[in-house]
Amino acid sequence: MILKATCWLRNVGVLGMNRRNAEYIMRFNPRSSFPLVDDKLKTKQLAEAYQIPTPSLYHVIEHHGDIAGLEEMLSHHQDFVIKPARGAGGSGIVLITDRQVSSFVKPSGEVISLRDLTYHISDILSGIYSLEDLEDRAFIEALVHPDAVFDAVTYCGVPDIRIIVYRGVPVMSMVRLPTRASDGKANLHRGAIGVGIDMGEGMTLAGVHRSQVVTQHPDTNKPVKGIQVPYWETMLLIASKAGDMTGLDYLGVDLVIDRERGPLLLELNARPGLQIQVANQKGLWGRLELIDQAPSGIFTSPEKRVEWAVKAFTKSDA
Amino acid sequence: MKRPAVLLAVALIVLSLALISYRVIWLKYPIFPAAPQKVWQFSMDAHVNGGEKETTVMIGLPSTHRGQIVAEERIRSGTLTFNLLREGANQIGVWSGALSPRGEGIGYSSTIQVQSQRLLKIKPPKLEPYPLNIGKEEQALGKRLVAKWDPLPSADRLRRIAAAVKGIWGTPLPQDQDLKEWSAFQEKHSQVEAFLLLLRTADLPARVVEGLQLAESVTNSTLTWIEVWTGQEWEHLQPDKGEIHQVPAPFLPLTTDGLPVVRVNNGEVSEVRWTLNREIINQWRMQFDRIMRSNRFLDRWSLFRLPPEFQRTFRILILVPIGALMICLLRNIIGFPTFGIFLPVLMALAFRNTGLAYGLGIFWGVVLIGYLVRRWIDKLRLLLVPRLSVILTLVIICITVFALLGNKFGLREFMAVGLLPFVILTMTIERFFVIVEEAGARQGLLTAVGSAGVATITYEILQLEPLQLTFFVYPELLFAVAAVQVLLGRYTGYRLLELFRFRRFWSSS
Repeated sequence: MILKATCWLRNVGVLGMNRRNAEYIMRFNPRSSFPLVDDKLKTKQLAEAYQIPTPSLYHVIEHHGDIAGLEEMLSHHQDFVIKPARGAGGSGIVLITDRQVSSFVKPSGEVISLRDLTYHISDILSGIYSLEDLEDRAFIEALVHPDAVFDAVTYCGVPDIRIIVYRGVPVMSMVRLPTRASDGKANLHRGAIGVGIDMGEGMTLAGVHRSQVVTQHPDTNKPVKGIQVPYWETMLLIASKAGDMTGLDYLGVDLVIDRERGPLLLELNARPGLQIQVANQKGLWGRLELIDQAPSGIFTSPEKRVEWAVKAFTKSDA
Repeated sequence: MKRPAVLLAVALIVLSLALISYRVIWLKYPIFPAAPQKVWQFSMDAHVNGGEKETTVMIGLPSTHRGQIVAEERIRSGTLTFNLLREGANQIGVWSGALSPRGEGIGYSSTIQVQSQRLLKIKPPKLEPYPLNIGKEEQALGKRLVAKWDPLPSADRLRRIAAAVKGIWGTPLPQDQDLKEWSAFQEKHSQVEAFLLLLRTADLPARVVEGLQLAESVTNSTLTWIEVWTGQEWEHLQPDKGEIHQVPAPFLPLTTDGLPVVRVNNGEVSEVRWTLNREIINQWRMQFDRIMRSNRFLDRWSLFRLPPEFQRTFRILILVPIGALMICLLRNIIGFPTFGIFLPVLMALAFRNTGLAYGLGIFWGVVLIGYLVRRWIDKLRLLLVPRLSVILTLVIICITVFALLGNKFGLREFMAVGLLPFVILTMTIERFFVIVEEAGARQGLLTAVGSAGVATITYEILQLEPLQLTFFVYPELLFAVAAVQVLLGRYTGYRLLELFRFRRFWSSS
């Protein structure tokens, strides 16, 4: 039974955690480049240098002393997001969608006070959410107003699009839809839905929710399948460029689609999760091998890589 | 990519095996050091009364040779000086000095391990000349008596001679004249000499051995027997009974080649007493003494050379890598989560003081209290480091209260927590809280169960005395453990729980 299951997974080309770590992350992602993706502020700066759009940065808070000025900092912004620069797995991110004088509304409708916010930022600076419990920076950036395309299948929050990039070639992607359970966040382990996207046309496939395959959003009951993702080629191109700019050859690229600004790079991940395979009902390993087998010299520019990926990883591939 | 790692692992295993073989083959270490083994506790006690001048007492002692190992030797010599003397194959203890009028008690004790004879070729002994007190005519008589058995194999000749000395000659009977002469010889000489003559004339090498019957006993007299070489081995012949014992014979030789066991100059030995007791010990105890005295390289660098108070620590420490190996297995092969990486190993070490049941009880008791307090503290908005300090203090308070309660109700285990666990408990509480908050109570409990599971397995491994001993005797096994860890580090197959996680792929296909 175990042997049979193993054989099946191998045949389908499913990538396991051990292989991902040993054969891809450790082999292709130099440790020296990790700070570029582990620190969201560094990612932002780097993206600007490569003309990749990101949500606008309002403020960076580096010291506990800076928190005193928080009320003033926020006075011009009706909505915003507070993030730890080195937070892992979406922890420590607070979305504020609306405000009265000194109370702030979260996507779930919960109202929190300025004191709650300062306490939260102080936690961020102490490193509670940081990857290695190191002192951290907090930053405030613009809240993304998501494109209406996923409105029917989103419960609060902002859906984001994850694209796995291997050696600069987009490999697999999914859109992560927040649910009531995930508190407006798009992280799968918090209860968001992952919906696979066909690489060729940018059309959504079936979804996965807490490792169950689903066809409808659990809160809105609308079908998640068959939605055409806008700006598809642009996003593939951004993802491909992100691979170049970081020097990481196995990378998870997280994008959001803003109503006005179009696709924005949200963050990068040097250890992207494996659940994307369940969302797509496709194994990553098989596709990674395909890229390795492709003749060298055809991957010279991001455009060429995207063109190749669109052809290679569309529905027709088994 | 996998090649260097596999090569390294192979090299480590070869290194480990090479060192172990060296110890087993050249240093004669037991392959299973923890296997129980029957040994004899030998002791000799004697009282010596002296004369005018310096007294010297020479007593044959058991020695290490093929088939037996003597260890843990202790000597009691009182005011006398003791020396060990080698005379041929014999080990002689020499006590010497001036004695007080009341005399002096001397003694010797050791542990003797009788091994079944290894199948190694023993060098055949040379045929000695006839004893001096046997004349030419007697030699000729002997020849006439045994000549008819010449065509028989050595072992059969020995048996015919044994029977003959008892008076059973078999057919054809020797001539009456010869039998008469033989009776005269037997009257003139001892039984032993009668045997020696016939054995010599039958070309069978023989030697007289004095020693003890190998049985639980207290005795004040020794036994004499003749060892006869029959081509493959020494057979043991009891002259008074004419009985023949093959190896292993139930005898403990003290002196060979006719040397008396006890010899005294200027004095007398009264009350010699030999005691033999059966005992079951671990094989390593036999090694211990030998290793302490040995000058061989790996013996000098053995962990047995550490002062005993530190040996205890190392017996445990040397097993910790196996605990780490268990964690590798659980996380990378099975895919089960644990708190931190080596936290469960530290937990297992802490359990050694309290025992497993109490350890787990105290541990989860404190973590549960800590978790509830941590939830409540979350509302107070404390900064990270002070907050962890508060939890640390709480943990110490819990442990202290448990100890006081334990004292009140007579539960030692509650007091034996030791210094190690408080850091582990504090970090576990914080991690447990974060996991429950971020990934839900289910994931938190799963991680808790995983940690407790590894801690339990590691604890049981650490408590395995045979394993402790084996690793202590052969610390090079750590290289082999490292080899397995290296191999696990290159395991890129699926984790067991991933088969479940990706079950959609194989169940629907």
